[in-house]
Amino acid sequence: METHKTEQELTGLSQPATDTTVEHSQEQSAWYPTSKRDRSIIAQLVSKDFKLRYRRSVLGVAWSVLNPLLMMIVMAAVFSSFMRYNDPSIGNYPLYLIVGNTLFNLVSEATNGGMGSIVTAASLLKKIKINRYVFPVQKVLSAVVNYLFSLIAVAIVMIFFQIPPSPVILLLPIPLLMVTVFCIGLSLLLAAAAVFFRDVMHLWGVVMTAWLYATPIFYPITILPDWLAAFENFNPMYLFITYFRDLLLWQQMPTLSLNIRCLIISLASLAIGIFVFHKNERKFILYI
Amino acid sequence: MSDTDNMAGVKWTARMDLSDTLVDEGEPIFASAIIDGCDPTGFAYRFNWTLDGGGEGGSSGKPQLDFQWGFVPPHRGKFLITVDVFDLDESTVSVSRWVTVGKPEEFTRPPLPSPDTPTVVAVNDVSMVFNIASEQFNSLKEYFIAAARHELKFKEFRALDHINFEVKRGEAFGLVGTNGSGKSTMLKIIAGVLEASEGTCTVTGSIAPLIELGAGFDTELTAKENIYLNGALLGYRKEFIDEHFDDIVEFAELADFMEMPLKNYSSGMMARIAFAIATITEPDILIVDETLSVGDFLFQQKCERRIRELIETDGVTVLLVSHSIDLVERMCDRVCWIEKGSMRMCGPTDDVCAAYKNMNR
Repeated sequence: METHKTEQELTGLSQPATDTTVEHSQEQSAWYPTSKRDRSIIAQLVSKDFKLRYRRSVLGVAWSVLNPLLMMIVMAAVFSSFMRYNDPSIGNYPLYLIVGNTLFNLVSEATNGGMGSIVTAASLLKKIKINRYVFPVQKVLSAVVNYLFSLIAVAIVMIFFQIPPSPVILLLPIPLLMVTVFCIGLSLLLAAAAVFFRDVMHLWGVVMTAWLYATPIFYPITILPDWLAAFENFNPMYLFITYFRDLLLWQQMPTLSLNIRCLIISLASLAIGIFVFHKNERKFILYI
Repeated sequence: MSDTDNMAGVKWTARMDLSDTLVDEGEPIFASAIIDGCDPTGFAYRFNWTLDGGGEGGSSGKPQLDFQWGFVPPHRGKFLITVDVFDLDESTVSVSRWVTVGKPEEFTRPPLPSPDTPTVVAVNDVSMVFNIASEQFNSLKEYFIAAARHELKFKEFRALDHINFEVKRGEAFGLVGTNGSGKSTMLKIIAGVLEASEGTCTVTGSIAPLIELGAGFDTELTAKENIYLNGALLGYRKEFIDEHFDDIVEFAELADFMEMPLKNYSSGMMARIAFAIATITEPDILIVDETLSVGDFLFQQKCERRIRELIETDGVTVLLVSHSIDLVERMCDRVCWIEKGSMRMCGPTDDVCAAYKNMNR
């Protein structure tokens, strides 16, 4: 009977059953406890996204590596011939480009996916009781998985230009975690907004484009006028990119101030996202 | 040594003795062949069984000297037991007899619950109010224009109006009503998808929703991948699906199509997979909503048999929503009739169904 009790505590959609026969408890183990259930759903959805992304393409997952590489080559070709940034503070320009661009793509992919996730999952949410936050979080994690592959492209560039990594590279999981948290918060906010106003989905493309040009991704911060450079101190995208460049390109310890700013921004984003999402999620079903 | 003359046909006759022609589910059946007219030394026997209508069957294997054989029928139904008798000259005589397992046609509804049976679904004064106008603001512009004109007050639509009922454990509870009367809204509230505007709905135990088969299937994925995805969405453990994967495939009868993307499946095939996944375990509460209408008649019978099996299991409560009053009458012990959002009647099946049919006329 003791095992039976624990089985019961583990299961239960809303409340544990008040009395269940012993033979029943065996069947109960078919289900995950509520807490683990979300994890398994997220894992399955992420693996689904991953499988479908390159299904029926010849090179398959290699595209996750090739794509950022080719992008970098195009951008390097364009910007090093049209605009000549001879700023020595940049360091290796192709590496400068690819680190910034891959991170921007991570944020872009994560927020775009997360924003539409609730609307896309409408048919599911109308039929099965699933915690709604699962969908935006899953989209962000899918984007992170994709980003991990593009880090291989970054490694290839480092090998090509013979830039040996320094020990600070071991800190990489820290900014990655902070970016993930930042994206989850932003995605929760956008997903909730998109449910009520689909306009957000169109508008966000414009915002991302503006964000791309407002962030020193393919140009050095030194070309900006003072007031814009000051603004960059609070641009999350620039702060995260700087963190990654510190570790991969300039190979120096990120400053304490940078650490604190990144941390505050990611936690603030998460807090706002959770607050807005949680406050409105009960109404979602009526609008999707 | 030969007792038979092949030119003149076999000189012996065979009959089959059965331990019983009517057995309970899970009970074994013993068959023995009896030979008249000669000495059966050296004769070989092979026993076969087939389900009435075909589809399932099996045999004792190669012809053997043992003239007795026993087997346990896999489920309820009518089975044809056949014995092939081979004599020393390779002449064969076959004899068949029917065996009925568990009287399938005389399925009885679960009895009305006693008052002390625990309640698994308690619907307490539930109302559901939709704001009709709220559907229309899909853009900020429209919203602000309406807000500026103070037109944001919505028309109310009561999809459900003060519904009250309780479902006890082990019941097969039916919900009937005409189209748009609020049955599905009620089910969605029970399934936890919708939240009632007023009142409470308390559900005890795990729910397997068969509200719409195949919710959560991704048609680009193969059937196998979909089984795991759908299983996860229903909350099954991965190890549990691993264990029961073969059962699911077998029930769906689609073993040859597991690696095929679901987009190439017909809707009937998809329904088979979905039904197989949802009913592979014994949930506390099974919600069935019009799902039996897809799939061919053989599969419909199979689904109905599976739902009956679940109903007969003590712990499982079944909530059945259907326009098909026949199905409800055959399976449910109690029925709730909802019409235009309000509860007309709730009680024993025969009373409610009689009233419902009268209304239809």
